[in-house]
Formats: sequence, C-alpha cells, structure tokens
Amino acid sequence: MTTDELTRWSGDLPGASRPPRTGWRRARAIVLGAGLTAYCWIAGATVPFSASALLSVLLPGAVLAVIACRFPPERIQPPERIDAVGFSYWAICIAALFEWEASAFRDNSPPWHPSLTELVNPLIAPHPLKSAAVLVWLLAGWGLVRR
Amino acid sequence: MSTRIITIIGFACVIGALAALEAVARRGTTRIPTLGQWLGYVMRPRTGRALILLGWLWLGWHYFAR
Repeated sequence: MTTDELTRWSGDLPGASRPPRTGWRRARAIVLGAGLTAYCWIAGATVPFSASALLSVLLPGAVLAVIACRFPPERIQPPERIDAVGFSYWAICIAALFEWEASAFRDNSPPWHPSLTELVNPLIAPHPLKSAAVLVWLLAGWGLVRR
Repeated sequence: MSTRIITIIGFACVIGALAALEAVARRGTTRIPTLGQWLGYVMRPRTGRALILLGWLWLGWHYFAR
C-alpha cells in the first residue's frame, strides 16, 4: 500500500460518503449564526429606555433561562475545588472595579469622576458597535449556561 | 492631569489587571484559576448559577436597555 493510498480520505473510496450529520450541523450553525446576527442588529437599533430595548434584553434572557432549566446543553465540567489564594486575586480586582464604579454612581457620575457606564455608553452608541456588544453579551450568556 | 483622566486610568488599570490575571491563569503554571474555572465553580450549586445568570441579565439591561 502506497503513501498516497494511506493518506487518501475515506470519502474517496468507492461506496463511502460524507456522514450526513456533518452537513446538517453545518447548516444549523449557519442558520443560528445568521439569526443571531440579525437579532443583534435589530437589538442594536433599539432606543434606550424604550419597551423594545427592554424586550430585546429580556427575550434572550428568557430563552437562556428556558434552555438552562429545561434543555440544558452539555456542560463544561467545573473544577472540584479552587485555590483560595489564586481566587483572591480575582476577588480583589473585581472588588476594586465595583468600588470605583459605585463611588462614581454615588456622586451621580460627575464629569470629574465618570462611571464606567458613562465611559462605555459613547463607545457603543453607534449601531454596529452596539450590535457587536449585544452579540458579545449573548455569547457570554451562552458560555455561562454551558458552565 | 484632571481627575477625569485619573478615573479613566483607574478603570483601565483594573480592567488591565483582570486581563492579565486571565492571561497568567491560562498559562497553567500558577494556582490562579481562569475566569471560566471559577465561574464554573461558583455556578455548581443552583443558587450560584441563578445569581450569575441574573448578573449577566442585569448587565445586558444596564448597558442595552437603559
């Protein structure tokens, strides 16, 4: 048997064919990706403080809640235990972020001490960027459901 | 340097520290867990799972609905 015969893909052999599941999964991924992109584009166009904006957030939340409760996906196995000292680094940074943000909110986000929200809002004001941010948020939610 | 710039630098430092923690954790040579690992650990009980998902929902509401 030659090297060419050994490296030949099984689909080239007579009678063999690509498994149908691969094509179906690819089609499903394309449809889901297109739907997700369209939803993010629509959600990015909503006006803040409007009912449509609220609905654009609550709807995926409800969908993920149903998926998490009724149709849980294959979850990524979490660690049995976590090193407390290692986690403390995360806790300190997150506490610092919350404190910095909370102090800005307490002062009503003045220009000299803006909150993170005040800084981020102008960045995601353009429609494409807001849509991208919504997409990142949705993907993060899916990542959490799988944890 | 105005206090506004100082505030922005403060946020940047904290966010940079979080990114650095993730990078160090992913190297696997330290005992620092990755973001996904400690989130998964916190989400093992049903209560932690619900709280984290509610936090995710609140973030979406805060930045996209308001």
